[in-house]
Formats: sequence, C-alpha cells, structure tokens
Amino acid sequence: MQKERVMRAAFFMAALASVVSVALICVFLLYQGLPTLFEIGPLQFLLGRKWQPAALYSEPSFGILPMILGSIYVTGGAIALGVPIGLWTAVFMARMCPKALYRVLKPAVNLMAGVPSVIYGFFGMMFLVPMIFGFLGERFDMVSGSTMLTASVLLGVMILPTVISIAETNLRAVPPELYEGAVALGASHERAVFKVVLPAARSGVMAAIVLGVGRAIGETMAVRMVAGNQTALRMPYEFLKGVRTMTTNIVMEMNYVEYGSLHEGALIATGVVLFVFILLINLLFSTLNKGREKA
Amino acid sequence: MKKTFVLLTAAVLTLSLFTACSSPSPAPANSTPPAPNNNPTSAPASETPVDPGPAFDTSRVIGVHTREDGSGTRDAFVSITGVGDDMYGEAVVLGSTNEILSQVGASEYAVGYISVGSLNDTVKALSIDGVTPSNATVKDGSYAIQRPFLVCVTDEKQADPLVEDFILFMLSDQGQAQLGSSWTMIDDGAPEYTAAGLTGALRIGGSTSVEPLMQRMREAYLALNDGVTIDISSTGSGDGINGATSGEYDIGMSSRELREAELETLTPISIALDGVAVIVNTANPLSNLSIEQVKEIFTGEITRWSGVN
Repeated sequence: MQKERVMRAAFFMAALASVVSVALICVFLLYQGLPTLFEIGPLQFLLGRKWQPAALYSEPSFGILPMILGSIYVTGGAIALGVPIGLWTAVFMARMCPKALYRVLKPAVNLMAGVPSVIYGFFGMMFLVPMIFGFLGERFDMVSGSTMLTASVLLGVMILPTVISIAETNLRAVPPELYEGAVALGASHERAVFKVVLPAARSGVMAAIVLGVGRAIGETMAVRMVAGNQTALRMPYEFLKGVRTMTTNIVMEMNYVEYGSLHEGALIATGVVLFVFILLINLLFSTLNKGREKA
Repeated sequence: MKKTFVLLTAAVLTLSLFTACSSPSPAPANSTPPAPNNNPTSAPASETPVDPGPAFDTSRVIGVHTREDGSGTRDAFVSITGVGDDMYGEAVVLGSTNEILSQVGASEYAVGYISVGSLNDTVKALSIDGVTPSNATVKDGSYAIQRPFLVCVTDEKQADPLVEDFILFMLSDQGQAQLGSSWTMIDDGAPEYTAAGLTGALRIGGSTSVEPLMQRMREAYLALNDGVTIDISSTGSGDGINGATSGEYDIGMSSRELREAELETLTPISIALDGVAVIVNTANPLSNLSIEQVKEIFTGEITRWSGVN
C-alpha cells in the first residue's frame, strides 16, 4: 500500500514536470516581455516597420512587422511547396506502394525527421543558396542567393516528414469499408483513394498541415543560414529578396545584446509574439482533433 | 490511367527522396576548406549555370554581407567607415565570422568584413586607401578600420589578487607574445611578468572573437602558475559584459567598446588590437577601395561593381 502511494506520487510528479515547465516558460516570457512591449507601445512594436535596436547615432526603433510578415511568408512558402509533395507521398505510401519499396521509403522518411536542422541549414547554405543565385542571380539583379524562396524550399523539405507520417497514419485509419464500397460501386483504385479515402481523412490531413506550419514557423537554425536576415519590410512578390523571421531575429541578436536594455526586452517580446502564434496553431490543431473524434 | 497516376506519384516521391538523401552528403565534401582556385563556387559545378570563364561582370549587383546588430565587429566597422546607422537594407545579415567567410568565399560578387585575425585563402582582403590590412599597418595606425580587444572587470574583482595577477600577465611581455601573427600588440616593451605563486579559480567569458586569444593566454599563464584553474566560455560580447557585471564571470571579454551605462560598473582594459578587413571573392579583380567607397557600398549608394571600378 505504502509503495503504491509512493509510486503514485512519483508518477504525478513526472506528469507535473511538463506542465510546470510550460507554465514557467509562459510566466518568464510574459514577465520579461510584456513590460517592454508596453514601454515601446504594442502598436508601435507590432506594426512598426523599422527594426534598428542598436542604433549608435539615432533613436533606436523597435518594429517587428517585417519579422512577423517574414515568418508568415516563409511558412506559407514552405506549405505551398511541402504539403502537395508530402500529401502525395502519404497517399502513395498508404495506398499504392509496393511492399518492397515501402520498406525503403518508410525508414527514409523517418531518417529525414531525424536529421538535425543545422545540417539542413548547412545543406541550404552550401547547395541551395549558390544554386538559386546561379540560376536567377543575374537575371533578377539579386544581392545574394539567400532569399525568401531559398528558405521556403528548405523548410518545405524539412516539414515533409511531419506531413507525411501524420497524413499516412490518418489515411490508414480510414475504415476499409469506405474504400471497398467505392470500388464495389465501380470506382477505379485511384478514384476511390482520391475521391473517397482522402476526403474521409480530411481532418487528419488538416492536422498534418497544421503541424507542418508549427514546425516551419518555429524553425530557427536552418532559416538563419539561408534567409538573408534583412530587416526590410517585404511584400510577397519580393520572394527573391532576403527576409528575417521572428525566430532568427531572437537568435541572431541575443548573444550581443546589452544586459537589461530595451533591446533585450524587445527580443523577449518578439518571443512573446512568436509564442502567441504557436499557441494559436496548437489551438487550431486541437480543434481539428476534436472534430476528428466526433466524426 | 492507373499507370500514369502511379508513375506520376512515384516520380514526385523519388524527387523528394533525393532531396532527403542528398542533404547530409555535401557536408563532408565542403567541411574541408576549398582550395584557392579561381572559381570557388563550392556547389557542384554541373548544377550551377554560372559561367566558369574568368570574366568578372562589373555590371552585376554587389552582394553586400554584414554582421548582426550589436556585434563588436559591426560596431567597429560602422563607426569607423561612417556607415553609422544607415546600413544598406538589402545587405545579407549573418551571425558569425565563419558564415561571412563561407558566403563571400562562395559568391563571386559578394563583399563582407571580418576580423583580420580570421582571414584565410578562401577570400581576398582589400586595401583601404592603399593600405593593406596587416599587423604592422594596424599597429602603426595607418590601417584605419581597427578596434581594441577588451577585458572588463568590476572594481571589486579588480581588487582580487588573482584577477589582478592575470591582467598583469595579459599585459606583460609573456602575455603579449601570445598574440602571434593573428593579432596586434598595443605597444612594444611590455614589462616582464613573474609568477606570484597564487592559487584559485578564474571564470572568464564573452566575445567569440577574443576567445581564441584568451585560450592561448590561459595556456601560457597556467604553465607559469600550476595552482590556478581557468574556465573560459565563449558566448558573445554582450554576455561577457553581463556576466562580468553580475559576477558570473571574474573577467568579461568584449570585442566592442562599452556603452556608457556599462562603464559605470566596469573598467575596460585593452589587451590587443584587431583590424577589420573588407573581403571580396578571390575572383574579384578589385584590390583597393577608398574608405568613402566602402561607406557608399555599405550604405547602398553604390550597388553595382561598375560603381567602384
């Protein structure tokens, strides 16, 4: 009896650890970030177009709109490139793949998920950046191959394993009766897969996309190495120019920041904004999950 | 119909598989410094349609590369060249000396700036107003773009005999001998150091640019004082200054000048001088820029190489 109680407490503590750490991060971010946010002015901070935190000769300015947009663009690009490839791969793996090929494919996808992001970044820096500069640099008067497009392509590859494995699991979870029914009614294999099975797994596929978004928006190291990191405000059509995301903004300037300065606070406040984005994405994910349980 | 579908999906799949598998492979190939040839575009040549010919197209856009806000190298560079707060908005921002080196080394039309101590064969350092960056020109002041390497301590720590002794050592003849050919002495004729036989532990942290020098100083100091342990962490100038203020480090390292607020609690001591070299790709025929041209390039007034030739 005694033992049981001790173990129960131990398990409870273990369960508590993750909740406590999330709560601590929340408290830290808000405690450190919110005062700065209000000191700068929330509107000026969120909608300011100029980021010049360590200005030596003029008033520093702290506007993170370029970074918020940067995160959105790069994530959007990654989704546009990664999701179609990922979904087709998932459909292929779940419904069309010969067994022998599957035995190679599945470990390959898993391996992809295990490659550290700095390796992706290195690959991007040494291969994608020169390649894109070589193909397009002269024609479009580019400053460098480190662009929004480069970051999107790299992130598109990086979200593949997330999208593929979640979408595949959900496609496999579709009851076989649906597929069989469709085939029995005269649909071909492909028609049944794309018109019946895929729509039936819709909420799972959405979940895969949302998790892909979460992975893309939070990625730091790889993006920092290929995105150019300019703080200029970009429009979506300027995808051949460099861009800075919220994550890279924090990691690039944290090392050199002056202790207790407004600059440091502004970087933490950037973290708050990023955290809110991630919360929204998770909320979306759990809403979608709920929808799936009902269905 | 069926076959086309399967074939199409298979093709897409193979493509994605290829991108996945090729990612780790270029790493070992590129981790060795590329040989200094005329076309150091390190990516597989067959993939890039860049003309391998020797012609340097001066009508191309200048690929400006800079360091991040708050970096010591950037601080020194913008204040001496007069770029100030008007850094060109299209300049690629990179977070370390090595990233600047590899990007400028790989891109024919790029320009950047790094510490003179970090120069190597993969890039070409430009003369500024006809003066080549080197230890001699940094020391006599004729090479204009230079900065001090600082250690900073609080008054309280400075009174600590071990801290005092180590600072004495860094500024002594034996300490300054550790600068070698990479960094420049502040002046000749530093006093001789004699070990005082102290014991204890020192914690030093800060600038990544100063750290290699500090490692050498540490080795030499420990050879003379075997009762001492020294711990060095390399985390950036800002962290070094914060750590020295909070007492986390006995001595902070900084490659940027201290701000006014920081000077209230810390005393900076220069232990060496370091030049900041403007670097271009080895394929670039340019060898000299005036400091005015450097300013115009980094503020975006000149955007094409034809503007400086």
